[in-house]
Amino acid sequence: MSVDFLHPGEGAAIDTDVPALELRGIGKRFPGVVALDNVDFTLEPGKIHALMGENGAGKSTLIKIMAGVYGKDAGTIRMRGREVDIKSPRDSLKEGIKVVFQEIALISEFTVAENIFLEGYPTGKAGSIDWKKIRADSAALFNRIGFDVDPAARTGSLPVSQQQMVEIARALAHEARVVVMDEPTSSLTPNEVSLLFTVIRRVAALGIAVVYVSHKLDEVFEIADTVTVLRDGRHISTRPIGEHTNDTLIQDMIGRRIDNLFPRKRGAPGSKVALSVENLSTAKKLDEVSFEARAGEVLGFFGLMGAGRTELAKAIVGYDPITAGTITVDGQRLAPHDTRTGVKLGIGLLTEDRKSEGLMGELPVYQNASLASLGAFARLGFVDKAKENRAVQDYVDRFRIKTPSLFQQVKNLSGGNQQKVLISRWLMRGLKVIVVDEPTRGIDVGAKSEIFALIDRLAGEGLAVVMMTSEMPELLGLSDRIAVMCEGRLTAIMSREEATQEKILNAAIG
Amino acid sequence: MALPTSREGPTGQMLSAAKTPAPAHGPERREWTEMSELTHAPAQRRSIGGQLLGGSQLVLGAILAVLCIAISIAAPQFYSEPNIIAILRQCALVLIVASGMTMLIITAEVDLSVGASLAFVGCIGMAVLNSTHSLTLGMLAALAFAGGVGLFNGLVVTRLRVNSLIATIGTMMMLQGGVYLFTREAVQNHNRLAIFTDLGAGYVGAVPVPVILAALIFAVAYVTLRFTTLGRYLYAVGANEKAVRLSGLRSERLKLFGFVVTGLCVGVAGMILSSLMNAGQPTAGRGFELTVIAAVILGGTSLLGGRGSLFGTLLGVLVLKVIDNGIIILSWNQDLQMVVPGIVIILATYLDIIRNKANVR
Amino acid sequence: MHWSKSILFASAAVLAMGAAAAHAENMPKRIGYVTNYATHEWYQNVIKGMKAHGKDLGIEVEVQDANLDIAKQVAAAEDFIAKGVDVLILTPVNEEGVVPLLRQAKAANIPVVLEGNPVKGMTTMVAICDYDTGYFSGVEAGKYAKEKLGGAAKVMNVGLPLLSATVLRSQGFMDGLKTIIPDAVMVHDLDGGGNPDRALEVSSAALAKNADINIIYGINDSSSLGGLQAWKAAGKSQDGLLTVGTGGEGLAFINAMQNEPSYRIEAAMFPEKEGFTTIDAAVKLFNNEQVPEHIVSPTAPMTGEDWKKYYDYDGTARTIKWDAVNALQPPAKCMKTSADLKK
Repeated sequence: MSVDFLHPGEGAAIDTDVPALELRGIGKRFPGVVALDNVDFTLEPGKIHALMGENGAGKSTLIKIMAGVYGKDAGTIRMRGREVDIKSPRDSLKEGIKVVFQEIALISEFTVAENIFLEGYPTGKAGSIDWKKIRADSAALFNRIGFDVDPAARTGSLPVSQQQMVEIARALAHEARVVVMDEPTSSLTPNEVSLLFTVIRRVAALGIAVVYVSHKLDEVFEIADTVTVLRDGRHISTRPIGEHTNDTLIQDMIGRRIDNLFPRKRGAPGSKVALSVENLSTAKKLDEVSFEARAGEVLGFFGLMGAGRTELAKAIVGYDPITAGTITVDGQRLAPHDTRTGVKLGIGLLTEDRKSEGLMGELPVYQNASLASLGAFARLGFVDKAKENRAVQDYVDRFRIKTPSLFQQVKNLSGGNQQKVLISRWLMRGLKVIVVDEPTRGIDVGAKSEIFALIDRLAGEGLAVVMMTSEMPELLGLSDRIAVMCEGRLTAIMSREEATQEKILNAAIG
Repeated sequence: MALPTSREGPTGQMLSAAKTPAPAHGPERREWTEMSELTHAPAQRRSIGGQLLGGSQLVLGAILAVLCIAISIAAPQFYSEPNIIAILRQCALVLIVASGMTMLIITAEVDLSVGASLAFVGCIGMAVLNSTHSLTLGMLAALAFAGGVGLFNGLVVTRLRVNSLIATIGTMMMLQGGVYLFTREAVQNHNRLAIFTDLGAGYVGAVPVPVILAALIFAVAYVTLRFTTLGRYLYAVGANEKAVRLSGLRSERLKLFGFVVTGLCVGVAGMILSSLMNAGQPTAGRGFELTVIAAVILGGTSLLGGRGSLFGTLLGVLVLKVIDNGIIILSWNQDLQMVVPGIVIILATYLDIIRNKANVR
Repeated sequence: MHWSKSILFASAAVLAMGAAAAHAENMPKRIGYVTNYATHEWYQNVIKGMKAHGKDLGIEVEVQDANLDIAKQVAAAEDFIAKGVDVLILTPVNEEGVVPLLRQAKAANIPVVLEGNPVKGMTTMVAICDYDTGYFSGVEAGKYAKEKLGGAAKVMNVGLPLLSATVLRSQGFMDGLKTIIPDAVMVHDLDGGGNPDRALEVSSAALAKNADINIIYGINDSSSLGGLQAWKAAGKSQDGLLTVGTGGEGLAFINAMQNEPSYRIEAAMFPEKEGFTTIDAAVKLFNNEQVPEHIVSPTAPMTGEDWKKYYDYDGTARTIKWDAVNALQPPAKCMKTSADLKK
């Protein structure tokens, strides 16, 4: 018997005492690495089970084994007490395990309804596809999970958040016992997140076991019933969420205590204005933004998705064109839309999108670090590689960048170490103003504190740091002053002391 | 891949899980020990060593050696002096253009118009030679034209943001048709300049002039790519153009440079070819672009940019031309001159993947 | 030899044909020609010959280029049929594509003359004899080798095995050569692709392998010149070498015969004359006269300064001397055709 979402009456017959899915002693080895070592993971029907851990802890490997993408090397898998052999994604789907990966796997040219039934269209008489039924079933499905979208809409025209809902709905369209969601909120706005949570709760209420993979603590506390933590491929703990605090969860994840996530070692900011932005506007987003940032100061910018933080960051450094306004660095005006003069005058951007705008993944660590300052190591156009390597090695040591060598391809480093390489790139160049956009995106909890310490140090060394962030703790923990944006406008600037979460959110809503 | 994967691929994950990731390439492991002992290791020696032994060159070098030995056993004329000189002269033309093309492909762009340009350049160079009787002016005209074609390609790609594959196919068609507007017939050599004839058919000692020119161009390109800031920026712009722009560099100009240099190389090659054929031939150069690009790719340069080496390109050119020559020396069916290189390209790439996997283990 | 007889016979036939054409009752007003590949010098000169002869007879000759594309050829021919030309001339891009065109033209009552290549169901075709062309230049080459090369003949054939026409030329050349030098051998049979840079490249390798080559034969001028340039690039002297080209469609061979000591023989195919003959055939069909299935357009080996008999050359362009070329007597039938290759 199976759970068919369209006929929920049958779902009531689920026996809640038998685990929906039980993994015992799972082991998985890759060449040179043990990815999973004797991991147990048990899912109860109707419960939301968070799976946590740093990057490389084994979360992805575990869900890929559940999805049949990888085969396991050791251990057993039971569905409702019956041992099963999952050898391919097909086997996994047959057993009712649906994994919604981070990346959307929908066909954007198809309608929503077509995507939902992609795995098997219901057919009418004479074998022709029953489009009417597809549309009606999709609408019924959406209705049950409280998701409001036109089944006939072209999928590609929907925002990412809605496409994600379509993915979930699609997982439910066929028989589902277990739904796995891999970091589903990484590109959602707070509103969309709360909508998603509503949907997840409704799914669980149908007796389906939900796996929620995330490293965002606040989300896990909000939605999960149970938390399992993995670290270095091993099972560390499985506890009801009620038994956890922020600190115990972090401790389980990184294996040590972090006493202070936001250590402040720098002194008070100076009075010298390093960056002055006046009436900055762009064609699509920014609307007369004006502010100043002083040397030695961290100026935090907060805003909801679409508020224009990244747009502001890119406009200030001259990466994107502007329609009006002036940018002054250390008293000198920047030529608009020209990163070259920007870097010359001493303003640079630490991008939010490391992979596509920051790293040269194929190239070695040292070339990534020295990119912006190569001229300083050259004579008559020839690079003094020894001198360059010494300089990079210095930063590798100082920032404790974990890499086997300067010649390692940077793509093989962890997110935190990659970020440190990119920070080195700017420090080797010697900046006056650094704009950091979501500096801890995709970075482990453990490495985050190091990045925070680095940002503190940058300001301590006299740089003006303009930090764009959507993480409230980061904003409050690091900033000297807080600026809030809404729909391309600057709606408030306040000192750290006068700032409260409520004030900030009010300003962010506009 | 059957299913979408999370943002980090399996390799990235397992490597970071191991805390001390295994190096992806053999030579890098060596370099690491060297670096940890001695931070100011002589960069030059290591680079050349790394180049000779690293990357896909190892596989390619082995293929070349096997080919040469096998053909020599079957037909001893293969290693006769006239044949070696014939091979080198054929390599010279391809290598000259491939040197520029390697730089261009490293910036993640490509130029398909080089074959058509080669023919046109020969015609223009010969026409100018005929009317001025000056090799310098003929050469300048050829360089100006071919460099101009490169500049045009570069501007279309960097300013109009037309994909280089499409842009240069467009240029190729324009040149293929355009050359007939310029001349319907081959432009005959009326200048009778001995020095012009030497450009293609002359010798310095036992070495053909085109080989010397190719060696010079290769050396300049090699040094530029390996040791200069410009070379490093070319790799950088191919690896990540946005990162380069954010670092305050003019990525468009770097790509433009790649196009113009490729064009200039075509200018030199076009003049050599017209000297060799004693005529500017509007029909010449068909398929030349494919030979050049095949050699560059065979040499391990990635079409995605940011990765590649001139040394590999040299090996790629040698392999392709040895195959070409060997088939005639062995009196095999010449249709194999297309078939065999096709097999070799796939085989070499596959062996390279195997070797990389073995190294990660 | 029976050759002289057949030439005599053919000449009589041609004279008769010429007379008939001159006093034709009816002249077609418009002739449409869809060529294969107008950028090639051969076709340019065929067109030149057609237009020149058409002008003499008061016929408007319209030309379209298929540019090696059968679809284009079909479209262009259909346009001509729709326009109602009086006669259609085609150089087939390929046989399969042209067969339906012949049917369409027949339905529209428009006679069709093919140039160059035969197609099943055709009324008539004007073409040279490739084998014969090679054969007679081979005979001349044999004479030259006997006199100047000590009677040795080691041939490097810069050929094009893809096309039966070019294979016939090479065969004809060797057969003709052997009538004078029975132990002549083809040392290397190359595929030079018919283009000069490829010919140069493959010849370089062949010359390196066989140092005893003393005759370079090319199935067209690009091939023979490519072979010769490879010889020169290898640093060899042209003493003791004979280069034989085929086609004579452009200026390249004139330049070579003037400047290259070894380039002594050119098998001329007179494309202008082929165009001329094609127009004659078109006029006959228009008047419902009987014509042979294959009308042969004449070719001739030119040795040394012979070419000046047939062409004027002012340094930039050549002009055919019609009197000399029209005096050439084509055979009524080819010694060998592509049909013989298949046997």
